[in-house]
Amino acid sequence: MILRSITVRNWRCLVEPVKVGPFSERVNVLHAPNSTGKSTLFEALHRGLLDGHRVSGREVEAIRPWGRSLSPKVMIEFASEGTEYRVTKGFLEAAEAVLERKENGRFRRVAEGDAADGQIRAILGSSPPGRGLARPENWGLAQVLWAGQGNLAITSLSGDLLTDIHASLGAQVSGPRAAPIEERIEAAYLQFFTPGGKLKTGKDAPELVRLRKRLDAAHQKHAAALEQQRGFEEAARRVEDLEARRRQTTRDAEEISKTFKAAQAEVERYRTLSSEKKERSEQLKAAEAQYNGLSERIETIKIARKELAGAQEDVRRLERDLPPRTREIENRDKEAAEAKAALENVRKGRLGVDRAEGLAEDARSFLEGRKRLSDIDDRLKRIAAAQRELTLNKKKRAELLAPDSKALKAIRKALKERDEAQIRIDAALITLEIVPEKRGALMIISGEKTGEVALRAGKSAQVKGAPEVVIDWLGAGRLRASGPTGEIDQLRQVHHKANRRLKQLLEPLSTTELEELEALSERAKELERKAAEMETQVNTLLSGLSVEEIQQERALIGGTLEKILEQRPDWEESPPDGEVLRRQGAETKRSFISAVEAAEARRDKAQEGLTVTVKQRTELETQLKDAKKQVKRLEPRLADLTQDGKADEQRQKELKKLSLAWNAARASVEEIEDKLSVFTEDPVGIASKLEMQLQAIEKRATELLKEEERERGRVDELSAQGPYSSLANVEEEMAELQRQIDDQELRIEAIRLVHDVAKQSRSEVLASVAGPVEASSTRMLQRIAGGRLGRLQLGESFEPLRVLPEISDSSVPLEYVSGGEHEQIHLATRLALADVLSKDERQLVVLDDVLPYTDTGRFARVIRILEEAAQRLQLLILTCHPERYRGMEQAHFLDLEAILRASSE
Amino acid sequence: MKFLHTADWQIGMKAAHVGGAGERVREERLNTVLRLVDVAAEYNVDFMLVAGDVFEDNGVARVLVQRVADAMARSQVSVFVIPGNHDPLIPGSVWEHPAWRSAVNVKVLKLEEPIEVPGGVLYPCPVREKRCDRDPTAWINTSEQEGIRIGLAHGTVEGIHVEEPDYPIPRDAAARRSLDYLALGHWHSVTTYEVSDGSVRMAYSGTPEPTKFGERDSGKVLIVDIRRKGEVPVITPVQVGDLEWLVIERDLRGLGDLVCLREELESIDRPDSTLLELKITGLLAAEDTDELARIREIVDARFAFARIDSSKVKPLPEDENWVANLPAGILREAAARLRALADTSFAEERPEGASPEVAARALVELHAMTVEAQP
Repeated sequence: MILRSITVRNWRCLVEPVKVGPFSERVNVLHAPNSTGKSTLFEALHRGLLDGHRVSGREVEAIRPWGRSLSPKVMIEFASEGTEYRVTKGFLEAAEAVLERKENGRFRRVAEGDAADGQIRAILGSSPPGRGLARPENWGLAQVLWAGQGNLAITSLSGDLLTDIHASLGAQVSGPRAAPIEERIEAAYLQFFTPGGKLKTGKDAPELVRLRKRLDAAHQKHAAALEQQRGFEEAARRVEDLEARRRQTTRDAEEISKTFKAAQAEVERYRTLSSEKKERSEQLKAAEAQYNGLSERIETIKIARKELAGAQEDVRRLERDLPPRTREIENRDKEAAEAKAALENVRKGRLGVDRAEGLAEDARSFLEGRKRLSDIDDRLKRIAAAQRELTLNKKKRAELLAPDSKALKAIRKALKERDEAQIRIDAALITLEIVPEKRGALMIISGEKTGEVALRAGKSAQVKGAPEVVIDWLGAGRLRASGPTGEIDQLRQVHHKANRRLKQLLEPLSTTELEELEALSERAKELERKAAEMETQVNTLLSGLSVEEIQQERALIGGTLEKILEQRPDWEESPPDGEVLRRQGAETKRSFISAVEAAEARRDKAQEGLTVTVKQRTELETQLKDAKKQVKRLEPRLADLTQDGKADEQRQKELKKLSLAWNAARASVEEIEDKLSVFTEDPVGIASKLEMQLQAIEKRATELLKEEERERGRVDELSAQGPYSSLANVEEEMAELQRQIDDQELRIEAIRLVHDVAKQSRSEVLASVAGPVEASSTRMLQRIAGGRLGRLQLGESFEPLRVLPEISDSSVPLEYVSGGEHEQIHLATRLALADVLSKDERQLVVLDDVLPYTDTGRFARVIRILEEAAQRLQLLILTCHPERYRGMEQAHFLDLEAILRASSE
Repeated sequence: MKFLHTADWQIGMKAAHVGGAGERVREERLNTVLRLVDVAAEYNVDFMLVAGDVFEDNGVARVLVQRVADAMARSQVSVFVIPGNHDPLIPGSVWEHPAWRSAVNVKVLKLEEPIEVPGGVLYPCPVREKRCDRDPTAWINTSEQEGIRIGLAHGTVEGIHVEEPDYPIPRDAAARRSLDYLALGHWHSVTTYEVSDGSVRMAYSGTPEPTKFGERDSGKVLIVDIRRKGEVPVITPVQVGDLEWLVIERDLRGLGDLVCLREELESIDRPDSTLLELKITGLLAAEDTDELARIREIVDARFAFARIDSSKVKPLPEDENWVANLPAGILREAAARLRALADTSFAEERPEGASPEVAARALVELHAMTVEAQP
C-alpha cells in the first residue's frame, strides 16, 4: 500500500483537524520537535487501518484528548494494487467505519461498519484481532513494515504474515490445509513425548510405560518362578541321588554282613584249633622232658666216670713229679748265693772311682777359678777408666756457658721479630734524601735523629722520621716532609718488645752473636754426647752389678782357690792338666760300672732260676691237692647216679622208647599248626573290624534314609506349589505384555518418526526460505557496520537471532552486540523483509524515530541504503532531527509544526 | 482286542506363543481328555493306552493332576499309562500324587515287566529321566508268551531328524521284539511305520490336541483293532482335538486384497475355537489401512487368539494419491521421506529407530491423521 494522506482530529494532542499529506511515493520525512504529535499520527494511522471501530476499553479511551469528551477520528487515503481507497474511522461515542474506493475520480463507499473493518484488513493482509485493539501480531504486513517509536526490534511474526513472506519467497511451508494436520502430528507426539522429546512419565505417561512396568514386574515373578521350578528339579534330583546312595549303602551293608558272618565262623574254628594246639604242645613238652631227662642222666654218668679216672691219673702223676723238683731247688739256691757274693765284691771298687773323679773336679775348679779371677780384675780396671772419662766430660760441660736448643730457638724467634719490626719501621719512615751541590749543614728538627748534620757537596744525605721530617737547611731554608700517621707507633712497640725479650734471653750467656751462640750450643751438645757414651760404657761393664758386688765375687773365687791349694799345694807351682785328669776319672768310672753290671746279671739269672723252680714245685703241690679233692668229690656222685641199679644198655633201651614218643607228639603238634597256618591274619581282629564296618554302614544307611525322607518331604512341598504351572502363567503374561509393548512401541516410534521427519522438513524449508532474507539483511548490515559482525542468522519467524563473526567459530547472541548495532541489525532485517513483501507492490514503510544510537558515520550509510530502498518502498520517517536526513536525495520533508500551525489558522 | 492309543497330552503346557490365550489352550487340553474317554466308549475299546507325556512337566499344579486322574477315572475301561520324558518317573513326579491310588481303573506302569491286559500281554517301557540314549524297548522279551503282544513306549523312532534323539527306538522295533503292535508317544503328529509286508505294527498317535501353529496331523487318537495274535492291526485315526491352530499367509498385491482377506476370515467356522496366526506381506495402499484396522478388530473380537504380523507390509509405490493430495510443503516432503525410509533398499543413513517397519507404520499414521484432519 501507498499512503496518500492522513487526517486526524480529537486524537490525543491533536484536537483540531490536521491533515498531513500528500506523501511522496518515495521518501517522506515528517519532522517536528518532541511531543508535537508525530507518534500520535503514527498511532492514528495503524488504528485507523487495523483496529475495529467498535473497540473499547482503557487503551482506546487513552487516545481521547485529555480533559475532553471528544470522539477520536481519522481519515486515511491510500492506494493498494492500483486502487485508491479512503477509510474514515471514528471511535468511542462516534464509532464508525467507512471504506471508500476512488472510482472515476471520486471516492465512493465500498463498505461500512464491521464490513469496512474486514475489507480493510483483507486489503492489508492482516488478521482480525480477537477483542479490543489490534496487537502487532494482528498487523499483517505492517508487523514488518511499520516500526513504532522504540519498537524497531522484530520479535516474532504472525502465521499469516509468515505465510505471505514464504509465498513471496516462492516456498510452501504450511498452509491452512496443512496446519490441522501438523497440529494433529504435534498432538499425537505430545500424547507420548514431552516437548523436549522424552517419553512421558508420571500420570500422563502413555500405556507403554505402564506395560513396561508390568513387564518388569513379570520378569521378577518369572525369575522367582524359574527359581522355584529349578529348586523342584534339583530337589527331585537330590532325592534320586540320596535314594541311589541309600540303596548302595544297604547293598554294601548286606555284603559286609555276609562277610562278617563268615568271619565269625572262621573265628570259632580258629579258636578250636588253637585250643587243641595248646593241649598237644603240652604233651610234646612232657615227652621232650622225659627224653631229655634220661638222655642227660646217661651222659652225666659217662662224664662222671671219665672225670674220676682222669683225676686218679693226675694224683699218680703228680706224686711222681714232686721229688726231682725239690732237688733242683736246692741246686739253684746255692748258685744264687754265689752270684750275690761276687757282686758285693765288685761293688767295693767304688771308692777308687770317687777319688779319680774328685781329683778331676778339683783340677777343673782350680783352673776355672784362676781364669775367672783374672777376668774380674781386668773388668774392674776398665770400669775405673770409663768412670774417670765420664767425670771429666761432665765437668767440661758444666763449665761451658751455651744455650740449649730451646733457648736458641727462642733467641732466633726474638731476633726475627725484632728485625722484621725494624724493616717495617724503616719502610714506614719518611725518607728525605738530599744531595747538596756544595757543603752545608742541616738542623734536623723532627726525625728519627735530631740535631745538626753536615752536608757534603755531591754526597747524598738521608733524614728519616715519622710522622714527619722537619729540617732546617742552614742557609737554604726549612724542609718539611710528612706522611701517613699511626702505624709507626705500633711497629716501634713490637720492636721494643722483641728487643726486651732478646735481652732476657742473652743475659746469662757470654756472647750476643747468634753464630757464636750456635757454635757454643754445638760444643755443649758434643760434650753431652760423649758423657752419655761413657756412662753407657760403664753400665755395660757393670752389667747391672755394682763395683762392690764384683769385688765380693772376686773374694769368693779367691777363697775357693785357697782351699784347693791347701789340699794340692803342688798346683801352686805346677798347675794340673784338667783334661787328662777328667779323662782318667771318666775311664775309672766306666770300668767300675761294667764290672758291677756283669755281676748283677749273673746274680739275677741265678735268682730267677731259683724262683722258677720253687714256683713249679708249688704248682705241682697245688695240682696234686686239687686232683685228690676231685677224686673225693666224683666218687660219691657217680654212686648217686648209678644208684638205680640199671645197666647202661637198659638205660639206652628206655631212651629209645622216649625218643619215639617225643617224635609222635611233635607230629601231632605240626598237624595242628598246618591247620592254623591258613589263617594269615588274626580272624578275631578281622571279625572285629568287620563288625565295626557293619555298624558304621548301617548307621550311614539310617542317616541316608532320614535325609532322603526329609528331601522327599521338600519335593512334595515344592511339587504341591505347581512350579511349572506358575512359570507357564508368568511366561504367557510376559509374552502377552511383550506383544502389547511391541505394538505400542511400533505406534509410538512411528508417531515420533512422523513428528521428527515433519520437523526436519520444516527446518529445511524454513532454512531455504530464510536464506535469501538472511543474505539480503547480512549484505545491508555489512554495508552499514562493515564485515566485523559477519553473517546474520534469523529464526523460523525471521527474527534476528545471532551473528556469526568472521573471526569466530561460534555465533554471538544479539544481547552481546552494542545498542547501535542492535538497531542496525533490526533495520536491515526489516528492510530485507520489506523487499520481499514489496515484490508485487510498493509498500509503505514507517520508521518512527528509529536509530537513536547510530553514529553519524554509520547513519550516512543508512541514508544511502534508505535511498536505494525508496526505489521500491514508500518511506515515512518520523523524526525530531530532520537535519540528519537533509542529504537524502528526493526526500519530501513535512514540517508537522508548520502543518499544525496552518491547520489552526 | 481293541484299544485306544493316545499320547502326549502335555497337560499344563505353557503357551507363551499365544500370550493371553494360554489358559484357554490349557483348559481345552483337559476337555480333550474327557472327549477321548467318550471316544473310547463310543468305539467300545477293551482298554486305553497312553504312551507318555500326559503332563507337560512334573512341576504342574497338583490340581491339574487331580483333574486328569478324575477325567481318566471316568473311563469304563482300564487306562494303562507310562511316564514320558516330560513327566518322567522321578522323585516328586506327578505319579506320586494320591489321585492315582483312587483312580482304580488307571494303571500307572512304573516297572519294565509284562502285565496282562484283556486279550494279551502289555510290555510297558516307563521313562525314568528326561533324556536317555537307551532304547526303551530293549528289555522286551516276548518268547514263551501267549496272546497278543502289545508294546507301550515313549521315544524317537530312528530316522526322525533330530540332533540328539532321546530314547531311540529302532524302526523295526515291533518286529524285533515280536510285538503285534507297538504304541508310541513323544512326537505330536500321527505317524505309522510299515514293515516289509506293508502292514503297520508301530505308530505314533500324536497329541490329541495340537500344541502350536504349523503342527501337522495332530488332534487325533488311534483306535487299534487286532483280531488275533499275528494278525495285522487295523488302525483308525479319530479326531478329538477341538482347537484349530490356523496359519494364514497373504501377500498383498493390490487394492481389494485386504477386503478378500477380511471376508475369508469372517467366513471361518468356530472362530472362538480357532487360534489364528495371520502373516501379511506385500504392498499396502493407503486407502487400505482402514481395512487392515478392521481386520484387526474382527480377529481380536472373534478369535480365541490372533496374531497379525504386518511388519513386512510396505506402502504401495504407485500409491501417490494421498501423498499428492497432501498440502505442498512440509507435509508432502515428510511423506516422501517416510516413503523412502519404508523402502528396505533405502541406502542413506537412517535416523535412529527409523526401520522400514517403523517408517511404513509412520506412513499409516500420517495417512490416518490426514484423513482425520479433513473437514
